[in-house]
Amino acid sequence: MIWTIVSGLIVGILLGFVMQRTRFCLTGGFRDMYVQKNNNMFYALLIAITIQAIGLIALTGFGVLTIDNGTFPLIGTIIGAFLFGIGIVLAGGCATGTWYRAGEGLIGSWIALAMYALFAAMTKNGLLKPVMEGMNSKTVGNADMVSTTGIPFTVLVLILTAVTLYFVVKTLRKPKKQRASLPQKFTGARHFFFERRFHPFTAAIAIGIIALITWPISYSTGRESGLGITTPSSNLVMFITSGDATYLDFGVFLILGIFVGSYIAARGSREFKWRLPDKVTIRNSVFGGALMGFGAACAGGCTIGNGLVATAAMSWQGWISLPFMIFGTWFMSYFLYVKPMKQAIETPLQSN
Amino acid sequence: MVYELGTVGMVCPFPLIEAQKKMETLDIGDALKIDFDCTQATEALPNWAAENNYNVTEFEQLDDASWTITIEKV
Repeated sequence: MIWTIVSGLIVGILLGFVMQRTRFCLTGGFRDMYVQKNNNMFYALLIAITIQAIGLIALTGFGVLTIDNGTFPLIGTIIGAFLFGIGIVLAGGCATGTWYRAGEGLIGSWIALAMYALFAAMTKNGLLKPVMEGMNSKTVGNADMVSTTGIPFTVLVLILTAVTLYFVVKTLRKPKKQRASLPQKFTGARHFFFERRFHPFTAAIAIGIIALITWPISYSTGRESGLGITTPSSNLVMFITSGDATYLDFGVFLILGIFVGSYIAARGSREFKWRLPDKVTIRNSVFGGALMGFGAACAGGCTIGNGLVATAAMSWQGWISLPFMIFGTWFMSYFLYVKPMKQAIETPLQSN
Repeated sequence: MVYELGTVGMVCPFPLIEAQKKMETLDIGDALKIDFDCTQATEALPNWAAENNYNVTEFEQLDDASWTITIEKV
């Protein structure tokens, strides 16, 4: 139990710290593919997936662990991922993003987080379980890409690596524009850890490595999967409300660690402040959090569990949920950002 | 002329969206001074300025989670 607590917290703190300092935000990344026509964060995600996938070849090759992708519900994954995409835009961050923003003192993220964890628990264990089961029971298929396509894992990873390299090289070859930065106040370690800006691709390498080391560490505690946020968030609610300690696994300490790591990073760089949102943001956080919890529970994962980890394990659940998650963020972004922006720009012209 | 845009309390990506909206109405040579407390905008705002070749004449952290940036339209 001590190892579960310590290892979960350490991995979580690392992840929360890195994400806060590098502003690693997949919601923002998916949204900006459409709103700002910028794909850099999506390519960063591909880097993190690829690093993990290459590492998994080694880990499974040396017999450290075996991956079982199991089965997945096709319709539930599609609908759940789409609803999750809508939810993360409303809540202003995905599951991990919301955990680390809560650590920065954003009260809106605390609200979104509470609703997300509650609805994940309700869908996995409670009132909404029949809804999820009704949707998920009819279209269950084999999630393993290797056994369904007959293509070896190594070849799938090679294809992924080639695609990732293509986009990374293409992006890095673009002429660099002079970018303004904040004046440097610190030197040495303090500058590196609490001030320095990191390219999203550098952040992705760090996150890919953390996601990779999570596999063997999590297995060593008896939890046989990679990084995950939704089931742990649900388990945390179940533990708090029932007092049943069997819900406390590596994942629960991992998410608590993300929160702590982000708080340390924000405090150290003078970026922690309690921030109270306005009424509309609070409303969006409530509905967004609820949609995230229900969606992620139905789809079997969030941006991390499905988008980063199941993809690296070459599971259909990961690669099918990822595009639908992205469509969900685009759908909601249209109503929240693109349409109001168009109206704001067109209105003054009409009055001329 | 410098226009002020207060976005304190707004979450990501609203500081950027509001800045983009406001910038549309400005003339060349005008500048936009944006105060914000959303951490992620420390990335988004200078990136946007660089993409559009706007000048950043001031960029500073004022206090805990409080920043100001002045972007000149060129």
